[in-house]
Amino acid sequence: MKRCYISDEHLNGFVEALMGRGPVIAPVAKQSRFVFEKLETVDDLMLDYDTTILPPKVAFFPTKQELVTFDGKEAKSCINPTDQVLFGVHPYDIKGIAMSDKFYTDSHVDENYMANRRATTIVGSSVQKHYKHAFFGSVCMEVEVIGHDMFLTRVAGGYVADVLTDKGEALLGLGQFGDATDAQAGEADQVNQAAMENCPEKLENTSAQIRDKMRSSFRSDVWEELSEDCFSCGSCNTVCPTCYCFDVQDEWGLDGVSATRCRTWDSCLTAEFSEVSVQGGCENFREQRAERFRHRFMRKAAYLNEQLGGPACVGCGRCSGACTADIANPVVVINKIMEQ
Amino acid sequence: MSCSCGSNAENVFLPKEAEIISAKKMTDTETHFSLRMKDGSTFDFEPGQIVEAGVFGFGEIPLGLSSSPTQTDSFELVVREVGKVSKALTELGEGDTMMIRGPMGKGFPLAELRGKDVLIVAGGIGLCPTRSLIRYIMARRDEFKKFTLFYGTRSPKELLFEEDLVEWRASDGVACLETVDQADESWKGNVGVITTLFEKAEGLDADTHVIICGPPVMYKFVIQKLVSIGIPHSNVFVDLERRMKCGIGKCGHCQINDKYVCLDGPVFRFSDIEELEEAI
Amino acid sequence: MAKVKCAWFDFASCEGCQIELTNYGEPFVELLQHIEIVEFREVMTEKTEAPIDVAFIEGSFTRESDRAKLERIRDRAAVVVAYGSCATCGGINALKNHTDDYKQEVYGADADKPHLDSTKALPISAAIKVDYEVKGCPMDKDEFLGIVQQLVHGTAKVYVPSYPVCVECKRRGTVCRFDEGDYCLGPIAQAGCGAPCPADGIPCEACRGMVQDANQKSMEKVLMENGKLPERWAKQKTRMFTANFREDA
Ligand code: SF4
Ligand code: SF4
Ligand code: SF4
Ligand code: SF4
Ligand code: SF4
Ligand code: FES
Repeated sequence: MKRCYISDEHLNGFVEALMGRGPVIAPVAKQSRFVFEKLETVDDLMLDYDTTILPPKVAFFPTKQELVTFDGKEAKSCINPTDQVLFGVHPYDIKGIAMSDKFYTDSHVDENYMANRRATTIVGSSVQKHYKHAFFGSVCMEVEVIGHDMFLTRVAGGYVADVLTDKGEALLGLGQFGDATDAQAGEADQVNQAAMENCPEKLENTSAQIRDKMRSSFRSDVWEELSEDCFSCGSCNTVCPTCYCFDVQDEWGLDGVSATRCRTWDSCLTAEFSEVSVQGGCENFREQRAERFRHRFMRKAAYLNEQLGGPACVGCGRCSGACTADIANPVVVINKIMEQ
Repeated sequence: MSCSCGSNAENVFLPKEAEIISAKKMTDTETHFSLRMKDGSTFDFEPGQIVEAGVFGFGEIPLGLSSSPTQTDSFELVVREVGKVSKALTELGEGDTMMIRGPMGKGFPLAELRGKDVLIVAGGIGLCPTRSLIRYIMARRDEFKKFTLFYGTRSPKELLFEEDLVEWRASDGVACLETVDQADESWKGNVGVITTLFEKAEGLDADTHVIICGPPVMYKFVIQKLVSIGIPHSNVFVDLERRMKCGIGKCGHCQINDKYVCLDGPVFRFSDIEELEEAI
Repeated sequence: MAKVKCAWFDFASCEGCQIELTNYGEPFVELLQHIEIVEFREVMTEKTEAPIDVAFIEGSFTRESDRAKLERIRDRAAVVVAYGSCATCGGINALKNHTDDYKQEVYGADADKPHLDSTKALPISAAIKVDYEVKGCPMDKDEFLGIVQQLVHGTAKVYVPSYPVCVECKRRGTVCRFDEGDYCLGPIAQAGCGAPCPADGIPCEACRGMVQDANQKSMEKVLMENGKLPERWAKQKTRMFTANFREDA
């Protein structure tokens, strides 16, 4: 891995050069929060954000995506990627992206996702401020931070830029990068280590312990109790970087002949997610809110571990903050289950 | 540095066009379609696999194939009218185009069934997906030992595939037992729930391999009977239904605990899922 | 194709939905090519008693004397569409449902005038069979056009989700009202609108009604604890558009 350095005064020039090549999706402020959005000017870039409302996968997997169009006679694919840079992604979110990549390529390759994903160059950045519910320092430690092309760590006077891929290498020519000194590289490692250690919230057990306990708690009454205030609003799913479920709906054109088939991010906490018409009637396989609440935690802490090599939670803390009822926090829920 | 320009071939959501060779109304709600791919290709599949069948503007629904892959010039589907998509499909007629994706999922365990006694228990519309296996067994009769079919419907009016039933009843080495919950004047056969057929059947033993497909309430009672014969849960296969939005293990809608019906099923070995609370 | 004969009727409402309709611009003009308006109080005065293909009804059912009028519309119309919150869930009119002295409060000295007499504000479906509902205050444009398109072109039923507004709000990446120190009824509000209100920086007031199985107890708690509403307010909040959904309705 090549370790470079770019000073504060040259960072904006680099970002502007990126913007000159194509869209740059980066964290920008939105009232009291932050969102990943296309940069209109480099001044909007907020590399000291805590976390964003929605995860960065919005850049290549929009909340609503057209899959196929139909003009009345013939169906056509809507795959149409644009080269872009996703800039300023925190390490836990890079893990989340690597997980989505896996979901969308395992067993069948979903080109509607992957084409956009491949057209995206990812520049990561170190966590400068912690979101109030972040616990990425104590979860999913067995999964590596991989899949990005360059990583920027905030150090004195500038950023250490780790170059990880050819796509990352290709960016070097766009900015005034020099080689990082040993001292700068050492400082960067310390900064990233400290970010892991200083998370405001913490899980107390290993992924394997949690997985086993989760599975054995499937029939526990605790789920009923934990989900009593749940609104089935799915906010905990929608904001999650490792949730990947979607719904597919057709939409008519105004002519009443043409149609577009679209997919939209979906949430297993909503009642309609698990409805099915069976033998002519309607059944819901997770009818109770406690069952749906439990399903999400099983998905996060047990069901997907084998496929991913670790739990499907990267500790961003978004769900904890998004839940208006204040019951979705994985740290609280998992620590409670572990105490049982 | 990139990459795909989005050729149609790579889009797993892009359906293929199938021409409807015939569309026959079987009952008030069921329509039987015979189809062939418009591009002239043979539709290859295994008995028990599913397709996503759709009409643009309405959507797609998962359907079990109901013909045998040994029949190569066409394939067959049965649509029961329940929602907006199935209604739109039902309104299609001969010469119209149906949009098809698939085949998908894992079908019946043919390799395991070969050389064994096979019992198929089908309730109501459950005969449609199992018909693909029944016809397969009929076409390759010598590869399987004794074959028994239990078929139950609510009333004689709802019997599906009557022509097939006539043929199956007359076949050698095949026991075709039928029942209805409620008889009418025309009905001469058994009356009662499907489990009453166990008293009429002969030669079912612990080594019989069983396929069950029907309404969820049926499974429990049938499996109790099988246990009393000594058939282990590992020799029982169930064909499950879920709402499927993608059919390729992505959308999450078909999950039963940690299994995906569209990838790991729709046919499951019962012993693999009996502990899963959300399965049946 | 013969034009579809449509008629518009209004009951207890502000007629805002009719105004909303004429605000649609282009799609409304496009729509006019496929329909024949036989009755529309906002734009014409001519009235008929002839059969109609589609009756669009606005406003809530709040006077027993309106039942006969509604039944006559039902008899004449092949399809009845109730549109707007008033017609689909009683709407803001249902704000009076829990009290008897609303007339005094609203009209003061004029409270005794006989035309002000009314009973509980209920959806049109409380009086007659309704085939389609378009929710919202004012009604949702896309849903309305989708239904009309379906009636005109025979296309599929528009999908209206059954989950809460938070789903759509989060998908837009809107900053939650609760994060801004505000309150919001999104967690129990019926989605389908695309959550425009929080996106504009104001709370969702659940103008489309509540979702099925809305967790009302939890909502009260959240309004008090996170929304910082005083208890009395938190308990009354859902009377604005969703009085008929309340557990005490
Ligand atoms: S479950 Fe919560 S904390 Fe974990 S990755 Fe998802 S949103 Fe972040
Ligand atoms: S938690 Fe729910 S919505 Fe998220 S990926 Fe899993 S099943 Fe899908
Ligand atoms: S846990 Fe919280 S965010 Fe998730 S569905 Fe329930 S109320 Fe909504
Ligand atoms: S602003 Fe309202 S609708 Fe949006 S997420 Fe928050 S509570 Fe839900
Ligand atoms: S956000 Fe709430 S108040 Fe606003 S339109 Fe939607 S349901 Fe009505
Ligand atoms: S149907 Fe989408 S995951 Fe199975």
